[in-house]
Amino acid sequence: MDRIKKSTAVAMIVLIAAVFISLNVSIYMLFTRRVVDEMTVEERKDAISLTDYLPFADGTRAVTVGSSLAFTDRDKLPVLDGAAALYPVYASVAASVYPEGSVVFEGGAFSEGSAVQFRNTLRAYRAVADGDADIAFCAAPSKEQLEYAASVGAELELVPIGREGFVFIVNEDNPVSGLTSEQLRGIYTGRYKNWNELGGPNRIIDPKTRLAGSGSQTVMEHFMNGEQMITGRMFGFLGASVGYSFRFYVEAVPRDLSVKMLAVDGVFPSAENIKNGTYPLVTEFYAVCRADNDEENVRRLLDWLLSDEGQSLIEAVGYARIK
Amino acid sequence: MKERTFYILLSAVVALGVALTAALVIYTAYEYNNCSIITYIATELW
Repeated sequence: MDRIKKSTAVAMIVLIAAVFISLNVSIYMLFTRRVVDEMTVEERKDAISLTDYLPFADGTRAVTVGSSLAFTDRDKLPVLDGAAALYPVYASVAASVYPEGSVVFEGGAFSEGSAVQFRNTLRAYRAVADGDADIAFCAAPSKEQLEYAASVGAELELVPIGREGFVFIVNEDNPVSGLTSEQLRGIYTGRYKNWNELGGPNRIIDPKTRLAGSGSQTVMEHFMNGEQMITGRMFGFLGASVGYSFRFYVEAVPRDLSVKMLAVDGVFPSAENIKNGTYPLVTEFYAVCRADNDEENVRRLLDWLLSDEGQSLIEAVGYARIK
Repeated sequence: MKERTFYILLSAVVALGVALTAALVIYTAYEYNNCSIITYIATELW
């Protein structure tokens, strides 16, 4: 039988093993590392830790304001639901207006009878239309969400309760610090493919999008003015990404992460610039209910949200008031 | 070393490498589908 020199055989096997080790380390460093963190899969989908703002919990970040409206255990409490970005708002509403014990959080989720629920935008609109939630705190609905409501015979009532900046984000080490609206649209239509076309380094632009029906995706579709968006780029993961979200969500909700917001048309999306209207991409957010929901406490709560107390709470959480 | 022994060892190393790489790719794809855009951008290599 043929024989191979032992040192040659060992060298070849070590070489093959080294190739696989290098390949796996590269995959991990370039990609796996970027998509894994310590949050649960459910929390990562929503990128929010529900316990951080859990009403009535010790150390909660939910804000409370002095309120002339105070529901009791005897009241029929409106069930609140909504977007991840607005969870701090409606958790704070519950903390300010609802009785302790009305919010039940067990096993990483809100219990069925809890007055606060968290389904995120995609399912919260459906929950309001179906009557499973009374008020959803969300950005404007998508065409599909309006169509679903119509299909179940529900007309949605959208009450604007605050304003927020729609922001574009990049890694904090990306030297680009601002873009024009036209350049941003150009990135998402595929017209700009490399950051060096926009004053940045020679790296592929990797435009990230959100799930259809999410609040930020619906706002982005409006921003694109009907232009078709690309959904990623071949080998984009080797380049440098750009994404979008809401200002408060980027600044306050996720843990310390190395991202920065871009100035748009020369204006940085600071809370002040959103409040004074100089930042160009400001959107309203809503308390959404069924138009035929005539529960007294739903109407009382909607009125309270537009009162000075309710508006103060929205501002105290970190958003801009509407009134 | 016998050629047969060498090929058995080589096949084992390649099979192990392919299996580990495939598992990492599948795991990464699964996590990618559930990851936050903000986390993804924050962990970019610069």
